[in-house]
Amino acid sequence: MLESKTYNREEPMIMHVDLNSAFASIEQQARPLLRGQPIAIVNRRTEYTAIVTASYEAKAMGVKVGMKFIEAARLAPGLLAVESDPSKYRFVYKKLMAILNDYSSDVVMKSIDEGVIDFHQLAIRRPLIDIGYEIKNRLKDEVGCAMRCNVGIGTNRFLAKTAAGLHKPDGLDIIRADNLREVYKSLKLTDLTGIAQQTEKRLNAVGIFKPLEFLDASSETLQRMVFKSICGSQWYLRLRGFETDDREITTKTVGRQYVLEKRDLARHDILTRLHNLCESVGFRLRGQNKVARGIYVYAKTIDHKYWHACRTYELPFYSDKAINALAQQLFSKAPDKIKEIGLHCYNLSSNQDKQLSLFGDYLAREEHLTRAIDEINNRYGDRTIHSANTLEATRFIKQKIPFGSTRYL
Amino acid sequence: MNDELFLNERIKVVAVFGEGLNPCRPVRFKRPNGQEIAVTEIGLRHPKAKGKKTVHIFDVTDGQADYRLELDSESLVWHLTIEADHAGI
Repeated sequence: MLESKTYNREEPMIMHVDLNSAFASIEQQARPLLRGQPIAIVNRRTEYTAIVTASYEAKAMGVKVGMKFIEAARLAPGLLAVESDPSKYRFVYKKLMAILNDYSSDVVMKSIDEGVIDFHQLAIRRPLIDIGYEIKNRLKDEVGCAMRCNVGIGTNRFLAKTAAGLHKPDGLDIIRADNLREVYKSLKLTDLTGIAQQTEKRLNAVGIFKPLEFLDASSETLQRMVFKSICGSQWYLRLRGFETDDREITTKTVGRQYVLEKRDLARHDILTRLHNLCESVGFRLRGQNKVARGIYVYAKTIDHKYWHACRTYELPFYSDKAINALAQQLFSKAPDKIKEIGLHCYNLSSNQDKQLSLFGDYLAREEHLTRAIDEINNRYGDRTIHSANTLEATRFIKQKIPFGSTRYL
Repeated sequence: MNDELFLNERIKVVAVFGEGLNPCRPVRFKRPNGQEIAVTEIGLRHPKAKGKKTVHIFDVTDGQADYRLELDSESLVWHLTIEADHAGI
């Protein structure tokens, strides 16, 4: 067992690169007149839409991600809403990925605006600080002069990400064994990636209020009293700079949600929007070469109630038609006065593991038809072919960039 | 709240083809109403798929307003699709 003062003393070999306020910076890059202005990226042009990203100028005025635009505009007079533009963000994501891939073969993009480079396998070593500054310059040269990124270097992924968050925007920091305690001293528990309010409460309950106290807690305390699982000993190692997060994350669910454009939509219209979401989920599911055996639908009402229904099936499904039929069936018991709907498919398995069925001919026809539609949509653009039932809903439900995942980029 | 005006104007463009970050640089364009605009900066150039076609999108400014120009890579026709005047809102 490691002693509490034992930190990982190896040379830091992990670099975390994070675009600063990514979507807002990209819009400010594209539109020079917006540079230095408070702007908010939104998914819809309504006052009640939530803010996806805010520029640093807007953040300095108190605007936060997730806030409604109308509330943010009160805090930041002159705040400008810019509708998100996925193709632009995808372009910059690919540029960033190409830059990072020039330095190591071991690059993992954690989301649309951040990537991690592992330098362990590299035979020729250059100081990582030099590489960090070079990446910053290349981003300006290869995307545009307004682009900035934070670079963090550490002995594990957690410390590299923590370092990347120390001096925003445009910082470059290293966390090693000898400045580890100094860095933790300057942070709050919720500044640590993976510690949100619930975990903070659990830590507080055993007398841990600061990151340094978290660091000094024994592995046994964390495992038995705080996390009550192996997560405790993982946190013990993670905080000391030992790698615990170098693993591939598998897709467990595929889903989508939609906040209805009007609060008084007729039931039939809500069902067409649900159908549209089913098509979107089906396309993503098949894009991952997966089939599902479970489906979950939910609705949020205007009086803040949450309703859901789910069901697991013996036979797998993957076609838009099947997903929609199952979702509509479950949704028949949904309440009235709905403001948001969503669904996700779960119990995913590989498309190759499908079980043979007595209805082989019917299933083969469905598979061929679905594949043909997907090929057309892939070639000629998303939703070139879709159900006539979703024609009207398509005017409202747009394809948006998922922030936390790079699976669908 | 938002300062973008969506357009679909076919425009005449003077562009320079060279090297660097933007090998194709629109430097001046003329709108159907006769207004001539000199591009002072290209903010971002990115490709976008429209069906099986690729359209090159140029977000540019003349220092007074931001504009979006689109070059159809198949027909080589330019369109002005957005005009945004932040000072005017």
